[in-house]
Amino acid sequence: MSKQDASNDPFDPLRKFVDDMEKRIDGVANKVMGTDGFSQAMNQTQTLSLKLQQGFQGAMAAHLKNINMPSRGDVLRLAESIQALNQRMARMELLLEDVARNTGSGPTAARSGPPRTRKPPSQRTAAGTGAGALT
Amino acid sequence: MSSASDTSQQDLGDQVRAAVDRTIARSIKGLDFVISGDPDVGLTPKDIIYERGTLRLYHYHPMADEVYRVPVLLVMATTNRSYVFDLAPGQSMVEYLLREGFDVFVIDWEKPGPEERHLDLDDYTFDFIPTCIRRVAERTGEPDISLIGYCMGGVLSLIYAAGQGDGPLKNLVCLTTPVNWHEMGLMRRWTDPRHFDVDRIVDTLGVVPTEFILAGFTMLRPAQRTAGRIRAWDNMWNDAYVRSYRSFDRWSNETIPLAGEYFRTTMRDLMWGNKLHDGGLRVAGRNIDLANIKVPVMHAIAEHDHIVPLTASRPLLERVGSTDKKEMILKGGHVSLIAGPNAVRRMWPAVSNWLAERSI
Repeated sequence: MSKQDASNDPFDPLRKFVDDMEKRIDGVANKVMGTDGFSQAMNQTQTLSLKLQQGFQGAMAAHLKNINMPSRGDVLRLAESIQALNQRMARMELLLEDVARNTGSGPTAARSGPPRTRKPPSQRTAAGTGAGALT
Repeated sequence: MSSASDTSQQDLGDQVRAAVDRTIARSIKGLDFVISGDPDVGLTPKDIIYERGTLRLYHYHPMADEVYRVPVLLVMATTNRSYVFDLAPGQSMVEYLLREGFDVFVIDWEKPGPEERHLDLDDYTFDFIPTCIRRVAERTGEPDISLIGYCMGGVLSLIYAAGQGDGPLKNLVCLTTPVNWHEMGLMRRWTDPRHFDVDRIVDTLGVVPTEFILAGFTMLRPAQRTAGRIRAWDNMWNDAYVRSYRSFDRWSNETIPLAGEYFRTTMRDLMWGNKLHDGGLRVAGRNIDLANIKVPVMHAIAEHDHIVPLTASRPLLERVGSTDKKEMILKGGHVSLIAGPNAVRRMWPAVSNWLAERSI
């Protein structure tokens, strides 16, 4: 929309109002939220919520133990073991690739794709070599 | 006189007609807005060439028949999905770089599972990044690489660059990357160590949840979302605006949780200790001193960034040891820097030109 249109647009006052309100609300909120008191209150609320969560987690773990079911911690430990195995596999894979590369016995990946010979605009000749057309 | 009055009446008539047309279009398209799903994003063709836990490595299909020798690896911030680099055709940094003749790879992050809560800064910088660089080298046959890191992805890239020794890094581009964390404004106030119990958070939650991260970002600009919705309604007749709004909205809501140990280290060493700026940072047993970075460095900064303020990002250039270094300050905010109109007009061409000269 051009400026001329905007100046007579019936929705223009609404746009200005929204812009002003956004700036004003953000400004006031940032001032309030930038105080030490706000930071302290926010973190106290968060700590309370986390304490409740910790208490609930503990109670639930005890309940699951009573009914002979695995707790979240048990499942997590299992998942972490699998993740550790995955990481070990990844490291072994890298080592094997190194060995294969050093002994020249590994399969060489087929390197397809366009040639890697492109030149930057400053080095392109008048004939246009190295400009590279789009595929 | 009469002619001027006729013209004025005609103008008024045109404006009323345009306003009525837009109101009708708003109603029709507004219904479509409500019932249609999220817009498709990340449409540029790509292959996933490596995945492990939270880590994904994409290789985008080249779009030029001749590419620069040195491939480019983009490192996404750990709190968000990488499709902000590829929002839509014409609004995609990836697509732009491909068309300019670069071979483009991207590191993306999936939500870390609870079993990945122990992932630390060490894993992101000296396991994930080197592993991906290796995969890129295997895929391209090229020993060198250029890194482009966005926000926290820039921090990871900086740490890698400072600790890699004589590694394969040839060029480093950072996009709005925080270096002086004591200048992080409200974020720093909210995480004041006198009140903010990072140990309790990490020990209780394991993985720091999306809601926690998203609340932090939203609280920086509490009125932004509501004002954005009103502006979207006002522009409902404009398909391009609505599409762009919905893509950004989808992206900003799709925040990723953070592995607990990584969050704890970021808080202690960067936010509280400011060790990336002041020195003394150790990651994976290496001393991380930005002065050790000797490769060419470019830093693009947003003038009105409310997440990483200018004062937090600007010290990067004076801290690195490179002689070939460039800073670019653009109007706009944290996200528009990489996908907004100024990115399309100025940032992408500047990055492309700068890299092109150093990618042969």
